Amino acid sequence: MVESIVSTGVAIGCIYALIGITYNVMFSASRVFSFTAGTLGMLGGVLGSLFIAQMGVPLVAGFLLVLAAGALFGIITEIVAVRPVLKSLDQHLYVLSTLALALLAQQFTAIEWGTESRPFPRLFDIARGGFDQQFWMPMLACAAVIIGLELLYRYTLVGRAFLAIAEDTYAARALGLPERSLRMASFALAGVIGALAGFAGGEMLLAFFGNAPILTFYGFVPVALGGMGNNRGAVVAGVLLGLFQQAANFLVGGIFASVAVFTVFIIVLLVRPEGLAGASLQRRV
Amino acid sequence: MSITRRQALGSAGAAIAASSLAKPAIAANEPIRVGYLPALTGPSSSTGIGINRGIQLAVQEINAAGGINGRQIELITRDTQSDPTKAVNGAAELSHGQNVSVVFGPVNSGESLAVVPLLARTNTPQVHPCWVDTLTDPQKYPMCFRNAPTNQQIGAAANRYVVEVLKRKKVAVISDTTGYGTASVNAYVPMLQAKSAEVVYQGNVDAANPDLKPELLRMQSAGAEAIMPWSVNAGFLSRIINTRGNMGWDVPIVGQTTLGSGQTKALLEKPEYWAKVYPNNFRNVCYGAGGKLPERTAAFVDRLKNAKIDMGDTLLWWIALGYDSPRMIAEAMKAVGPEPQKIVSYLNKLKEFPGVYGDITFSPDQHNGYPDEEVVMVEANSLKDGAFNLAPGYSS
Amino acid sequence: MDAGAKLGHSRANVLGSTSTLGTALPFLVLLLVGIGFPLFGGGYWGVIATRACVYWVLVSGLNLVVGFAGQIAIGWVALLTLGAYTTSVLAAGNVTPAFPPYLALAIAATVGAVFGLIIGLPALRLRTFYFAITTLGFATIVTQVALAWQSVTGGGVGVPGPIFPEPFFSQWGFYYFCFGLAAICTWMTANLANSRFGRALTAIRDAEVAAEASGISKPALLVSVFLFSGATAAVAGGLFAALQSYITPDAFTLDLSVLFFIAILIGGRGSILGPLLGTVLLTVLPELAAPLVAWSTFLYAVLLLVIVLAIPGGIAEILDFKNRRPLASGRAIIPRPDLIKQLFNPARSANTLKVEHLAMSFGGVKAIDDLDLEIRPGQVHGLIGPNGSGKTTILNVISGYYAQQHGAVRLNGAALPALARHQRARLKIARTFQTPRIVGSASVLQNVMIGGTIDGEGTFVESLLSLPRHRRDEAMLRATAMLALATVGLDGLAMVRADRLQHSELRFTEIARALMLRPAFLLLDEPAAGLTAEEIERLGALLLAIAQAGTGVLVVEHHPDLIFDICHHVTVLNLGRLLAAGTPAEIRSHREVVNAYLGG
Repeated sequence: MVESIVSTGVAIGCIYALIGITYNVMFSASRVFSFTAGTLGMLGGVLGSLFIAQMGVPLVAGFLLVLAAGALFGIITEIVAVRPVLKSLDQHLYVLSTLALALLAQQFTAIEWGTESRPFPRLFDIARGGFDQQFWMPMLACAAVIIGLELLYRYTLVGRAFLAIAEDTYAARALGLPERSLRMASFALAGVIGALAGFAGGEMLLAFFGNAPILTFYGFVPVALGGMGNNRGAVVAGVLLGLFQQAANFLVGGIFASVAVFTVFIIVLLVRPEGLAGASLQRRV
Repeated sequence: MSITRRQALGSAGAAIAASSLAKPAIAANEPIRVGYLPALTGPSSSTGIGINRGIQLAVQEINAAGGINGRQIELITRDTQSDPTKAVNGAAELSHGQNVSVVFGPVNSGESLAVVPLLARTNTPQVHPCWVDTLTDPQKYPMCFRNAPTNQQIGAAANRYVVEVLKRKKVAVISDTTGYGTASVNAYVPMLQAKSAEVVYQGNVDAANPDLKPELLRMQSAGAEAIMPWSVNAGFLSRIINTRGNMGWDVPIVGQTTLGSGQTKALLEKPEYWAKVYPNNFRNVCYGAGGKLPERTAAFVDRLKNAKIDMGDTLLWWIALGYDSPRMIAEAMKAVGPEPQKIVSYLNKLKEFPGVYGDITFSPDQHNGYPDEEVVMVEANSLKDGAFNLAPGYSS
Repeated sequence: MDAGAKLGHSRANVLGSTSTLGTALPFLVLLLVGIGFPLFGGGYWGVIATRACVYWVLVSGLNLVVGFAGQIAIGWVALLTLGAYTTSVLAAGNVTPAFPPYLALAIAATVGAVFGLIIGLPALRLRTFYFAITTLGFATIVTQVALAWQSVTGGGVGVPGPIFPEPFFSQWGFYYFCFGLAAICTWMTANLANSRFGRALTAIRDAEVAAEASGISKPALLVSVFLFSGATAAVAGGLFAALQSYITPDAFTLDLSVLFFIAILIGGRGSILGPLLGTVLLTVLPELAAPLVAWSTFLYAVLLLVIVLAIPGGIAEILDFKNRRPLASGRAIIPRPDLIKQLFNPARSANTLKVEHLAMSFGGVKAIDDLDLEIRPGQVHGLIGPNGSGKTTILNVISGYYAQQHGAVRLNGAALPALARHQRARLKIARTFQTPRIVGSASVLQNVMIGGTIDGEGTFVESLLSLPRHRRDEAMLRATAMLALATVGLDGLAMVRADRLQHSELRFTEIARALMLRPAFLLLDEPAAGLTAEEIERLGALLLAIAQAGTGVLVVEHHPDLIFDICHHVTVLNLGRLLAAGTPAEIRSHREVVNAYLGG
């Protein structure tokens, strides 16, 4: 049983962490939290199942198509839901516009794909062993994203430009960085990460439209606990969340497990609103 | 329930008001409106989809043969989407706005729990195939009839099979969180205990939960020797079967009829996982000795094949139930006309209506029409054209 | 009372009464339609109409949270669930002896109020998005508890809803019951919208710093709102359970929560009529065509997106005809400093406001370094210096937005507590802001009335019920605000929506709002920025008159002309330190000041 808790817990924790990173990447580019992060995860699973299982597209092509779809959705989010509201003085409109977009995507999926969860294709023809592909795929995806982002931020110009925008948009603009294109690129990147999370986690979570609200919430917990914009914190918090959730599932069963997770989340957040590793408020006046 | 004068005046007033807004006179060749509340979409739609095929065929046949005394049947469908709130809305619309003579459905217990009292208040006759015991009550709901078995009948057959035939004493009972699932677990656990079986695990799990391994591991460590799932959600059931297979755990799965449906089969990871799965079903739609269906059923299957109706992805008895229901209602209306009270009194005297899937009998005190002895257990992986062989060791 | 005040008063009354009639008319129409509905609506539409009334009971309360207070509470269905189950379980008598349904409903309201508070309180600690997510979490939790607590809620099986006795038992009887409650909720929330609490809520939403400066305590106000909103949601839940006649946990979907939330936003924040129409619209929309039922949430989301991007003001903005009338161009702001004497009491006590050895750093940057300052009543004190010299920082410390590391700000010798910004108003310390902080969607008059919020005596409940003390408060605040507007020269624009005003007019509006406090000390942060030369002159005369009425005025400014014209005393800062202090004449010729700052 312990083995099951650990393998499932870490794997699902990696999925949550990836969604958390999706939130973070969008946040760094725009100072906005988007409700579409969870939807991206859902789309990764649904589209993966659609392309590979239903339409018979070969594995690699299907995978790339899913990532491309994620990037596209990310860009749409930026253009439709984020850019227009950044200009307005009312900061809170972004919550509404991204919520609307996320709902649109979820409902469309529910109607076209169906409200029932459908199986995700088995990607590699390896028999189920102790360490099944549904476990190591999310972990692999998480590691790849962390390393990839690290390399991006440290060694490429684009990555450093992303960091600049995240630090201080005005200074970055003053330096002549194309803020808008960089933001779009950030959202596209976030879209890829979110879709990857859903794809890698497809076998565990199944292709289900209802994953969107689940991932929206559980993907946000690592952000809230790990600190806004803090990717490493998100990974640690995500894995811990996954382990805690699985342990609760095994010990007390599904219903009480979600109550337990939520209670812990709320208590931690009320005690430390900026997260366990976060920074404090900025100048308001 | 006693009807107060005010209620009677009120409903009479509403009826007058409503009918004054409807067409002035109901001419002799106006269609008879039958309300229909299936769940055609949503998580509990397997039953509704199967039943729907039967109903559509039956209504077509009846209308093609001249309808009811020259009047065509108009089936007014409101998809409940497996949602009790939408079921209530739909039922309200059917009874108030559409002026139907009788309502068939809902087909899921969770939805019926809300709709049955509502239709009772609007004095609309109702026939439904839901299993939860409390959904008929000749005193509280005098116009409501059930042409399917009750949970008691189903549970008796399944529990008997597990305890007496398979001789398993330690049982795990699992269902989802719908009204049907919860009511079933609540009903079956005491029934098992009365048979001196030990219920080592009982739980309601969210049907959308993708990972049922924790639950099965808990069952296993509690020493369960049989798993009894009660849910109409094909995804949920298939996940139980798949997890059992992945764990390599050799215990029989005995339970809800949907375990055997084509939808469940389609979601299995390996076909061999379907071994040792025994859903409940009905004698009339099963292959008897010699691998043959009863005559009436065989003729029905031929009719279905001629009409090109798919049986492979659903259950024959759902289609049969759907087929029987409008025919039963039509017979009542042919005899006494579409007046609600007359339909009810006809049904109250119905004796062995020859349905494909079962002979239905009602009386003023008994609104559960399905005979006990027709409920049987079958072997899931013997599925052919929606019908099955009886389960091994099952005395016929 | 002199002619000016009388003018102010009667004008306020006239404006008040005509606008009241105008705003009341749509409600009266809806009331008549609702009462007469059974005459033309059939049984089926009766169910829909009853449902709309039930939803509106919830949404009217939630409107205060979302539309007025601006809190993104998406998961409010949790309270609907709670209210439904509480009423049903108590009325059914399975767990407790059977309660009469009205009592069960009342108890549910109390439970709802408590839980509304529990769910809402995190809003005081968390950022917007975080709070939104926690409300979603709560919604899930309540449903899970309903599923798990089988012995009480019946779990997945559910419970029968309460049955209300005659005359509310029949379909139309129950409709009138729900309609009546909906009408009462409309009346109460409309009263609140036109009270100091309603305005304070919009201030918290759109101009939080200004709200704090006006003495509005966010926690206290939000507590009241959450209690009320929780209660109405729970009552709606009880009615919902009766309408459904049977409830199961899966009836309380997130889609429903989203419907409530979107209805408010489509209707327009800060409005009562808008969300009412929005609720009716969203309830009716799926019923108009069968395919719409499946696509209903999709449609709601589309509507929400359209509203947010194109018409953020929602239906209320579309219906706001009077704010479409063009404003006169070439308007001049002509203050009337002579009216100050009517605003302020003649006898003013001698207060002192001193800054002593103040030091404040942000990280490694020393913003203020060992500064002394005194603001004397009856005098205008100017504070000038280059950008980044710490002028605004000092203002923020005095008004309680920043906490200093060393030193103190003393009012009459007593040290002012740091960061207690909403207490400054009670101490008669008022301020304006570098960028005008106003509630754009409210009228100029309402914005100014916000300044006098703490002068009201009526309680939240009195406002809900429009009791005499509330009405007296309103009349008093209205008259005072008109007077303040007349003083700054903006009374002609009183009923105009504030976001239509020019920048300079907004600055004067802020001053009018500050004057509502009859401040002992008035702190102004670059009040002349963006003003024309003429306007700066008039501003100067106004500030001088305010000082002469007994107020101690501190002006942080860049415009040396204004400073030298009206200030009795000038302090010059550079890099957080005192560069020079003295009379305008002394400063003007001070060598270092000239070098560092003035030039020439």
